Amino acid sequence: MAAWLKNEICDITCFASGTAPHPPAAPSPRRAGRGTIESERMKTAPPAILLAIGAYFGFVVAIGQFHGVPGLALGLPSGVIATLAAGCGVAGAIWFLFANDQLDSWRPPQILIGLALVCLAFGSYYGLFVAPPEQFMGDVQRIMYVHVPTAWNALLAMTLAFVCAVIFLFNSDYKWDSRMEGSIEVGVVLAFLLCCQGAIWAKPTWGVWWDWDPRLTTTAVLLFAFIGILALRKFVEDPARRAIWSAVATIIAYVDVPIVYFSVRWWNSLHQQQSNPGTVSKQFWLPLRLNAFGILFLMVAFIMVRARLAALRLEHEMAPPLPEVAELGEAV
Amino acid sequence: MSGLVTGGWNFVIAAYVVTFSVLFIYGVSIITRLREERSRAAEEANTK
Repeated sequence: MAAWLKNEICDITCFASGTAPHPPAAPSPRRAGRGTIESERMKTAPPAILLAIGAYFGFVVAIGQFHGVPGLALGLPSGVIATLAAGCGVAGAIWFLFANDQLDSWRPPQILIGLALVCLAFGSYYGLFVAPPEQFMGDVQRIMYVHVPTAWNALLAMTLAFVCAVIFLFNSDYKWDSRMEGSIEVGVVLAFLLCCQGAIWAKPTWGVWWDWDPRLTTTAVLLFAFIGILALRKFVEDPARRAIWSAVATIIAYVDVPIVYFSVRWWNSLHQQQSNPGTVSKQFWLPLRLNAFGILFLMVAFIMVRARLAALRLEHEMAPPLPEVAELGEAV
Repeated sequence: MSGLVTGGWNFVIAAYVVTFSVLFIYGVSIITRLREERSRAAEEANTK
């Protein structure tokens, strides 16, 4: 925040004195050449341990519940199991993202996409053909196995964008700006998908494709707010101003995320309450968690690729002009 | 009207098809964009 205030004051004083505003910070000296760390190796050990713990409590325990082997849960209550599964899975995936997204290699996203395909294949198979239909909604409830994981991961992507925006305003390191751009774009794709899935689920259960219900309305507001931030980034050419303005806009837009989450509790909503181990039958846990992990891995892989793309574009914008061009400019 | 939803497999299939189509198209698009950006960066590095 201090760095942001300093930059804004510098902008104002430079504008008043007619001098050029401050240039964007140069890329980190660790990132030589095209801004990549080609000499460093992929870091997988700590995230893999966290993911293994998350997978145990997410999948093995759920398989035990599904087939009537409760001993695998180690006597822990379902709330603790869900927290361990989600917490370790998300922490491991995000650790893997931040540890490897500066590498100039396709291997980290390839690993994540491979894991995602395995999880989504098994999760969708279980969800469509093995899990029983729901008591009231019947087979239509199987949409939950893609809708709820998409919702969780859309909100997680927005949260990542918020964290990256805050960190960027504190340290002005442009890698956080690239990560923020990647997180926002992937979050927008997932939020759009969320609205499409919700409409498809709403038609057979509510009788309408769309309703101005608090949950749906706040989700639409969230989607358009983040589309607006992407548009802002497209229209502002100066990298420094673009990064600062979009970081501030992201923080403001993020206010809608807790409103989306709690809207079903705060208002008399047509939408059902959030799905959690307390509201979802044990027989539905496994496909829900498999698909949640699958979309989580896919989301992290997409953010990794998109952040790398944003970083390369930024380096192109910030690179000094070629000598011939510079000489030509001086001559003119 | 029993209050129970019957059938609806077409909606389930539509939701899964939309989900995986959007994710696939977006994944292909960002990988293509990153490849183009990398080749442009490599060309620039060669011209320097």
